[in-house]
Amino acid sequence: MKKMLLGLLAGSAIAVLAVGSAYAEAAPKKIGYVVNYATHEWYQNVIKGMKDRGAQLGITVEVKDANLDAAKQIAAAEDFMSQGVDVLIITPVNEDAVVPLLRRAKQEGMPIVLEGNPVKGMTTLVAICDYDTGYHAGVEAGKYAKEKLGGTAKVMNVGLPLLSATVLRSKGFMDGLKTEIPGATLVHDLDGGGNPDRSFEVSAAALAQNGDINIIYGINDSSSLGGLQAWKAAGKSQDGLLVVGTGGEGLAFINAIEKEPSYRIEAAMFPEKVGFTAVDAAVKLYNKEEVPTWIVSPTTPMVGEDWQKYYSVDGTTRTIKWDAVNAVVAPDKCMQTAADLKK
Amino acid sequence: MTSETLPARRPGLLVGALADKSQVVLIGLLVILCVAISVAAPQFYSVDNTIAILRQCALVLIVAVGMTMLLIAGEVDLSVGASLAFTGCVAMDVTNRTHSVTLGALAALAFAAAVGLFNGLVVTRLRINSLIATIATMMILQGSVYLYTREAVQNKHQLDAFTAIGAGYVGPIPIPVILAAVIFVLGYVALRFTLFGRYLYAVGANQKAARLSGLRAERLKVIAFVITGLCVGVAGLVLCSLMNAGQPTAGRGFELTVIAAVILGGTSLAGGRGTLVGTLLGVLLLKVIDNGIIILRWNQDLQMVVPGIVIVLATWLDIIRRKADAR
Amino acid sequence: MRADPLETAKEAAVPALEMRGIGKRFPGVIALDGVDLALAPGKVHALMGENGAGKSTLIKILAGVYGKDTGTIRVGGRETEFRSPRDALRQGIKVVFQEIALISEFTVAENIFLEEYPRIAGGSIDWKRIRAEAAALFQRIGFDVDPAAKTGDLPVSQQQMVEIARALAHEARIVVMDEPTSSLTPKEVELLFVVIRRLTALGIAVVYVSHKLDEVFEIADEVTVLRDGRHISTKPIGAHTHDSLIHDMIGRRIDNLFPRVRRHSPGKAVLTVENLSTDAKLKGVSFEARAGEVLGFFGLMGAGRTELAKAIVGYDPIRSGTIRIDGTPLVPHDTRRAVGLGIGLLTEDRKTEGLMLELPVLQNMSLASLSAFAKAGFVDEGRERSAVQSFVDRFRVKTPGLGQAIKNLSGGNQQKVLLARWLMRGLKVIVVDEPTRGIDVGAKSEIFALIDQLAGEGLAVIMMTSEMPELLGLSDRIAVMAEGRITAVMPRDAATQEIILNAAIA
Repeated sequence: MKKMLLGLLAGSAIAVLAVGSAYAEAAPKKIGYVVNYATHEWYQNVIKGMKDRGAQLGITVEVKDANLDAAKQIAAAEDFMSQGVDVLIITPVNEDAVVPLLRRAKQEGMPIVLEGNPVKGMTTLVAICDYDTGYHAGVEAGKYAKEKLGGTAKVMNVGLPLLSATVLRSKGFMDGLKTEIPGATLVHDLDGGGNPDRSFEVSAAALAQNGDINIIYGINDSSSLGGLQAWKAAGKSQDGLLVVGTGGEGLAFINAIEKEPSYRIEAAMFPEKVGFTAVDAAVKLYNKEEVPTWIVSPTTPMVGEDWQKYYSVDGTTRTIKWDAVNAVVAPDKCMQTAADLKK
Repeated sequence: MTSETLPARRPGLLVGALADKSQVVLIGLLVILCVAISVAAPQFYSVDNTIAILRQCALVLIVAVGMTMLLIAGEVDLSVGASLAFTGCVAMDVTNRTHSVTLGALAALAFAAAVGLFNGLVVTRLRINSLIATIATMMILQGSVYLYTREAVQNKHQLDAFTAIGAGYVGPIPIPVILAAVIFVLGYVALRFTLFGRYLYAVGANQKAARLSGLRAERLKVIAFVITGLCVGVAGLVLCSLMNAGQPTAGRGFELTVIAAVILGGTSLAGGRGTLVGTLLGVLLLKVIDNGIIILRWNQDLQMVVPGIVIVLATWLDIIRRKADAR
Repeated sequence: MRADPLETAKEAAVPALEMRGIGKRFPGVIALDGVDLALAPGKVHALMGENGAGKSTLIKILAGVYGKDTGTIRVGGRETEFRSPRDALRQGIKVVFQEIALISEFTVAENIFLEEYPRIAGGSIDWKRIRAEAAALFQRIGFDVDPAAKTGDLPVSQQQMVEIARALAHEARIVVMDEPTSSLTPKEVELLFVVIRRLTALGIAVVYVSHKLDEVFEIADEVTVLRDGRHISTKPIGAHTHDSLIHDMIGRRIDNLFPRVRRHSPGKAVLTVENLSTDAKLKGVSFEARAGEVLGFFGLMGAGRTELAKAIVGYDPIRSGTIRIDGTPLVPHDTRRAVGLGIGLLTEDRKTEGLMLELPVLQNMSLASLSAFAKAGFVDEGRERSAVQSFVDRFRVKTPGLGQAIKNLSGGNQQKVLLARWLMRGLKVIVVDEPTRGIDVGAKSEIFALIDQLAGEGLAVIMMTSEMPELLGLSDRIAVMAEGRITAVMPRDAATQEIILNAAIA
């Protein structure tokens, strides 16, 4: 019976990961994670998720920071290999730079899990779907607009054209929105640089040029908050406005949802879950089990007070509620990826 | 007696200072730009947009006042961007803890002034070139802000007075614009009419001569650094109020915008020469370009490209003007 | 190298270089207006005139730095033009400018052949030959220096010799020297003259530009005087007296270069220096200066005059000793305290330590006394302006206005502004270091008169100088320094050049 069940679920990453503890009897002892930029809130939460999952399984997770330096990343990975970790997890600083490393690891029989972006010659990758994240948030925004905004959707996208991931989010958002409101328009398509002060500046100028919008979408929380601050600074009322943020990596969005009447939707990407999933994938690789090359880590839009389902906040620390997050279903594959942008 | 070479020195003539020949190029560029953008996009000269531009100028201008003084004294401070972010975090954190906007503001000013003092002492006591010393300070601040807080410091106090610093209005005018105007006027008076201002020019023009004349050149420089720090303190407060959070990642590249505006305004990197009216024009020019590109819906990457070209153009036109004047 | 006598005779008939009716205008200024200059081979031709007379412009045309607007230039009888410094050099003209144009990181030999290195097969530079040829050149002009030495390590006087050797290396027929002795000691000047005589013996025409009459009378064969861009006179030196030459230069008579109008009645000691030593140079210097006197300090280069000047005004740190102004010790030892007590320095290095070049006359003059014009921290510009104007009038500073950038003034007028900077402040002791360096004759006598006047008004004037006439003409008492010590102090009446030089060499 058990065997049959396993066979059924072998292709499905979520299911495998949900019963991950079943493999505890053959767990690796030590996993090394080379993160690309440990300072960022996102990666801090990824690490948090890894450590949580590691603790559950009795695995030590060690972290080295490449600090956005590809050479440092290779050196850190080689350190881990010579120290004799059982599995490596890497968030590549630069996709091309880790190709030789993957080749070498394969020769030495060192299993590697990648996080974030795909690389040629990889065994497996754990990542969220940026397009899907935006898409589902767009669908929710469309429902909200139908109900509260009189069925119109005029969007200011505080984006970041530099990165394919963030372009996918914006694209997904508009596509999802149009499933509910086919007449939705993109009034402003801005480059907010992903940081709050720049987002504020460009949003303020855009709003002065044309203030007739009712939805602000930000590719991360800094962008949506920058856009919202510009709206407020222009002396506009938040009635009839919807702000949609993306990421949900820190406390900022929780603060905003609690305090700002227009900040209603947050597309949660659960960085902790990414770490959790990566550790489970590492365990599977260690046990020489078959893993899909692309493991999707789940995301979901949180509307209004939904966030309390997934997180609890105590002072300045937030804690993830694993049961709820683990119950979120991830798709087998992304609706669109960076490869689709090139078409 | 012909003293037309120094119109800005005729006592009591603010208008004279505004019409100073050296600003002709900048005023010309600014007018051409405003007219051109307005023709292409009439929203440009709307009240909303004018206020948006002024508000964006405010932050840069506040720090540029201090930076102008520093450059006139022959020094520079590259740590203002990093200090801006750190100051914002300190302001929000202290306000959260004390529930007092006054204490939060004082903490911000004290912190930023202390950074200025540190820069000043390193430059004058250890005799380290200010370019190097303040790059070091920038690195120290960028790193240590993460030791202080990994995340953005959120507004937990919800005090209206705090939000008003960045987002409030007096009549139709945003409070940051009023703050900038006050600081500008103070700086203008200090540079133009006071002993301190005259000494700054002297120290920047020739530090040895100033010392031989009994001036405390190094103390003056330290004061200029501290003033720059105080300006950063005000700007940091405004920024964190505006963002409704202390952002440790804010202010990247801010120092370059400030220095670009000051230099565009005709202040010499070599010291001894420069005016605040020029700096004001430089700030306006940069921010009008920034705004115009969005208003015109141009590719936003041009927001870096165009100011670069304008700096070269304005400096070159100024050289031509000087040559024509020297005839 | 030496041409046969017949050749030399023929050359003598044809001038080595002839400039005729040279005119040059700059925007707003006529720098040269129909100037003639003819140089005979083997002769030293002095070119004189006040600053702004057109000497530098003429030299720069010779050097190929500027083009001429009108007139003709002939080299060896053939009409030509100098399109660039390189072109001028190719036609045999080498100018040794005041600012030495050598690359200090290179060796002496490398510098000499800078324009064209001898090469060996394959195009690489023949270093051995460069060194050998440099050594041979030095021998010819009787100059003892290692061709392999780094140029920057040599004293200025020797760098000048390297420049001259460079002229020979290019087989220059005309060597122009612009103020060659301005930073040389008397001994080095003598050596330079020896070298100049060797050059003329080789048939080279030398143009000697200088302010110093004594030198011109010693070395020159002919003198051309320019004034306000025009040619005034060309005469054999024998046809001139000191007075006639000065008359040609300034267009008026200076009856006495050193006008001593003040009655000799020095008061009490206002500056007392005891046992002053510094880490750098000074060793136990003690002296006092009295109100109403000019105390002249003489010394050769490196004797410690400038060091002493900077130490007693609080600019450079001291190791031990005391400095008292009117009985009050200069503690803390800084310039602010010094100025407060009433002692200030008129620096020898106007550009780097005195002037704020980009700023106007007004700011430059009022710098030290600005606080006196301020009330509650605000400067009363009206009072400042009228005070500055009165000094401009009194000192006859030639400037189009108080707003004129000081860099546009002549050296003499700049010096007057700097002197006024101190007088406006009201000092008890003024230290003047080489007060007439780089200043032309007419302005010199004005500066002397001002210094004399200051002493007459009761200031103690301490004058550091390396110019013997200045020292003897202006001082009431003379102190001589050597290697950081005072070796002799004497009243003016007891001093002779010989006594002073002996003390300076000791």
